[in-house]
Amino acid sequence: MLDQPPGALVATATNRTNPERSFGEEVRSLRLGDGDIFRGEGILAVTKALLQSGVAYVGGYQGAPVSHLVDVLVESQDLLDELGVHLETCTNEASAAAMLGASINYPIRGCVTWKSIVGTNVAADGLSNLASPGVIGGALIVVGEDYGEGASIIQERAHAYAMKSSIWLMDPRPNLPTMVRCVEQAFELSEASNTPVMMELRIRACHVTGEFPAKDNVAPAISRNHRLAEPAAHNYDRISHPPSTYVHEKLKVDVRQPAAQRFIVERGLNELLPGEREDLGIIVQGGIANVLLRGLSRLGLGDQLGGVSVPTLVLNVTYPLVPEQIADFCKGKRAVLVVEEGGPDYIEQAIHALLRKKDVDTRIHGKDVLQMAGEYTAEVVTEGLLKFFAQTANDIDLSRPRQALDAVRVGRLEAQKLLGGPLPLRPPGFCVGCPERPVFSAIKLLERDVGKVHISSDIGCHSFATLAPFHLGNSILGFGMSLASAAAVAPVMQKRTISVMGDGGFWHNGLLSGVASSMFNRGDRVLVIMKNGYTSATGAQFIPNTAGNRRDGETTSDIASTLSAMGVTWLRTIRTYNVGTMLQTLRDAMSSAHKGLKVIVADGECQLARQRRIRPEIAAQLKRGERVVRTRYGVDDEVCTGDHSCIRLSGCPSLVVKPSPDPLRMDPVASVNNGCVGCGLCGEVADAAVLCPSFYRAEIVQNPTWWDRLVWRVRERVIGLFQPRVAEPT
Amino acid sequence: MSDALRPITILIGALGGDGGGVLCDWIAHAAHETRLPAQVTQIPGVAQRTGATTYYIEIVPLRRAALSGREPVMALNPAIGEVDVALATELLEAGRMIFNGFVTPDRTTLIASTHRVLSIGERVAMADGKFDTGRLLHAVRERSRERILFDMDQAAEESGSVLNAILLGALAGSGKLPVPDSAFESAIRSAGKSVEPNLAGFAFGRAHARGELEQAVRSHHARRAAGRGVEDLILRVQASLPPVAQPIAEEGVRRLTAYQDRAYATLYLDRLGSIRAAEQAAGGAGSLTRETARHLAVRMSFEDVIRVAQAKVAPDRMARIRAEIRAKPTEPVLVIEHFKPGIEEIAAILPPGLARRLLRWGERTGRTGKLYFPMRIKTSSVSGFLRLRFLAGLRWWRPRSFRFIEEQAQIERWLAAIRHAAALDLGLAAEIAECARLVKGYGDTHRRGSDNFARIDREIVAPALAGALAARVAADGVASARVAALADPDGDALARTLADFRVRATPLVASP
Repeated sequence: MLDQPPGALVATATNRTNPERSFGEEVRSLRLGDGDIFRGEGILAVTKALLQSGVAYVGGYQGAPVSHLVDVLVESQDLLDELGVHLETCTNEASAAAMLGASINYPIRGCVTWKSIVGTNVAADGLSNLASPGVIGGALIVVGEDYGEGASIIQERAHAYAMKSSIWLMDPRPNLPTMVRCVEQAFELSEASNTPVMMELRIRACHVTGEFPAKDNVAPAISRNHRLAEPAAHNYDRISHPPSTYVHEKLKVDVRQPAAQRFIVERGLNELLPGEREDLGIIVQGGIANVLLRGLSRLGLGDQLGGVSVPTLVLNVTYPLVPEQIADFCKGKRAVLVVEEGGPDYIEQAIHALLRKKDVDTRIHGKDVLQMAGEYTAEVVTEGLLKFFAQTANDIDLSRPRQALDAVRVGRLEAQKLLGGPLPLRPPGFCVGCPERPVFSAIKLLERDVGKVHISSDIGCHSFATLAPFHLGNSILGFGMSLASAAAVAPVMQKRTISVMGDGGFWHNGLLSGVASSMFNRGDRVLVIMKNGYTSATGAQFIPNTAGNRRDGETTSDIASTLSAMGVTWLRTIRTYNVGTMLQTLRDAMSSAHKGLKVIVADGECQLARQRRIRPEIAAQLKRGERVVRTRYGVDDEVCTGDHSCIRLSGCPSLVVKPSPDPLRMDPVASVNNGCVGCGLCGEVADAAVLCPSFYRAEIVQNPTWWDRLVWRVRERVIGLFQPRVAEPT
Repeated sequence: MSDALRPITILIGALGGDGGGVLCDWIAHAAHETRLPAQVTQIPGVAQRTGATTYYIEIVPLRRAALSGREPVMALNPAIGEVDVALATELLEAGRMIFNGFVTPDRTTLIASTHRVLSIGERVAMADGKFDTGRLLHAVRERSRERILFDMDQAAEESGSVLNAILLGALAGSGKLPVPDSAFESAIRSAGKSVEPNLAGFAFGRAHARGELEQAVRSHHARRAAGRGVEDLILRVQASLPPVAQPIAEEGVRRLTAYQDRAYATLYLDRLGSIRAAEQAAGGAGSLTRETARHLAVRMSFEDVIRVAQAKVAPDRMARIRAEIRAKPTEPVLVIEHFKPGIEEIAAILPPGLARRLLRWGERTGRTGKLYFPMRIKTSSVSGFLRLRFLAGLRWWRPRSFRFIEEQAQIERWLAAIRHAAALDLGLAAEIAECARLVKGYGDTHRRGSDNFARIDREIVAPALAGALAARVAADGVASARVAALADPDGDALARTLADFRVRATPLVASP
């Protein structure tokens, strides 16, 4: 069994930054200057662009697809120190948004980042209060628009936030030179219009590779290295408090928006691609321009270099629109297609309204030929273009592309028929040896005793428990919200509810929204906190209870003492791998006479982070010839009867099935593959659930001492004497 | 569209942890070194945690110099019907790309590993839940233009490398990219991690793709039971049973001799003889005898602590474990067993009178299913081994044990039902025989399986044998009930199926 005494987790800060991915190469690229070529991923290009723009501070909260922005800066502390850039790894998006407050009073540039829509929701209060007084230093918010295939959150658009708070929204074409240029222009736009700017980057754009000519980094004039002697003079106009807020609202529409629109036109932020079909036009969000351009070339209306036959307006700024620009583009055209991903169709509606006001009678198509919901994939856009041209330009012969599209669709149906129905899904799940899995095994076993229990789930790796094989969880209401979301369920249930929360969620929101509120209202609930030491689902970033802060190697805050300080009295900390103890503790929590909040801290370091940490250590030990015991588990295939109960209670990826070696049994048997890290859960589950005696634990003594070898030989010799001979007939 | 500029499109289907990201980096690096514009994108997200994910690459087959400074526009999404090369690290993921329409017979070269990593849905099934590999391979053949298929998992093991390096080698070997091998090798070198093993894997994959290397087929060996001194019983099998049933019956004889003794194996053949006679009378060709032979041998060698101990002290076990866990010959290995016998397991090996009293006490005091005796036995130590050896040596006592006597009674009832059904309908008899699959496992699992078996017996088999239900209808009912019993561990599907069956079968019961 994996026993990790807390002491063993503490390591120095230097060797423990960002456990999941190391950015050695990328850190070097951030130092490139004039004349160099930067090569790499989109989100890292954006990071480099920040340094080229002279930011004084950067902050953010991790989440795909923008985690790398902060992660790579965490590893670039030397460079940040040289330039005087302050980096804050915020504990949630609200804290990141509030950080931009520095640019309200001081002419310093800053950028914060998070995953949207969820992060923007959390940041909303700060954003409103930032956008109202406006900024004098450029303020940029890079949001990872987690939308479409591969997205892990609710599907909504950040666009609505930009509109309601009067924050400008950029949606650059997904190639590195444009993204970098847009970052630089975003700061200028922000300063020219005293308004924060949001830049949305979709998943694929964040991870797209490419290159751009680098520039020297710019050290900010006012910074950590060049401090101000005095704070800004008191100016009530800069405070979002009445009556200033009434003035701010007017400034937004009378001054800031016109300034922004002027800047957008003068600096050519949106791109007009000319084409000979002047009677038609297309308006597209920059972020999906490549899908559109490829679609046009598929139809024979464009080439591989981005040339088009139909004039196309690419909106690298999607809010605000510039009415004159749109109207000028549409004037004289019979029909214009708006290619806008996701719903509601804010841009299309705005274009309809502005053309009407300007009395331009061009027909606008959009969501009538393109789907309202879902990602604009190549197929969706091609279909939309075919419909648009069929309705508006019957002089263009599209029979070949139409037939081609229909043919591949027929082919796909044939393929699906050949495969005979849907393929088994492969949802994400807990990693090999994950410390969270045993908790859900224990909850499964608890349900055998007490019946089904209402489980409020949360965001984080533990949300995988809602999938196979556990199928545990009734709702997810947001990050750190599981305890709060049980507030009105618990009073109507005969059995207590269980809320599951990660330590990431605990510090993000759960401590106040959940624990404080539950304590305050004397909620009779059970809370399980997964203390694995990182926000593991986003790449194992550090959090306040991580053993060793990134700055000084000291752990910042402890969950148990925080809870005690808040008055939680029923509090147990349990090693997660100990399924029996976990089960008993859960039973106690469900049946205890204590009426208040009952918290179980399930303690076990993220296995992915742990393996990354200990593998090099073990390799070094082996190389030095030191004795190392490797533990792993196995299944006696002769004893296994192939009912797979163990897999249903664990789901460990290294617990697999293989054909039965028994010629008389047809069902495949369980087997442990070589991915096993020896966490011991399968043995624990077999034990706690009284499954079967097939599991064994094997300890392999590497670099054995002479004593190990002697004991081993003696044992083998003696055992050999008693070994049963092959069964003889009687 | 100018064809010279048309990018070569590559779609990669992989599982989180397969190294798809590294594979993309290698390909992009190699393209860059060849001065070809290339773009990679991916949607990793939480799919990194064991889920399925895809990567997409475009490479313009024209050197940058020839573009005179113009930048090609590259797509971030694959398009159906427009994928030149599809790479899959696993066969089901190849199937997924085919299912989604990305692999097309006019264009796509499919390079995939043929090994399967079963998805969680396939693994949790109570019996065999694996997706039909034949269907996957058939679709692969029908839907791709060219294909390079081999077990890259095994290749990685053979070459001491990792799967993504093999896949990169296979891509290079396919000749589908205008990128020389040296550029791929340089990509591996410049990445700087595990360079030698990755280069070895690359060379292996490339040689395989070019047909320069044949891979040994990894075979699955069934282990035969070790009973000896039963030549005369084997002769009896050959003389009395139909050829289709002989291999299985022979295995049954050996297994039961090892499990108990010659006499027990003889009983097996006697029992089988009665089924053979019933089948012959009904005009069957031997398949009922074969399937009964299979299940009867398994049922007669039921898992009690003696059998578990026998398996744990078997002479070849340690060698098997050492191979499985990859222990070097010089490394001592300690083996620790996880046992947790409860009241029922202990009662199983007691004499019936004592066992019943113990079980009644357990029921009365609520200790059955609650009281267990967890033990960790170190089989690799002398004392641990001797304890298990002692248990295994209790074989002589087994026929007097409570569980043995109970099992024999149940086996007889089951056999009687098969014989009786054979006279009505061979299909029904076969279905009843097959129901033995339900009774397996230990503890709760075994109890649940036995209950399900009893339920099907009570609700379908018994009425059919009593003539209250048409045998054909009953055969269908038993078949669907058995599938339902294996569908979920809670018995919900079985309950639904049986309720459904009652509704459908009612009018037939009334008919004469």
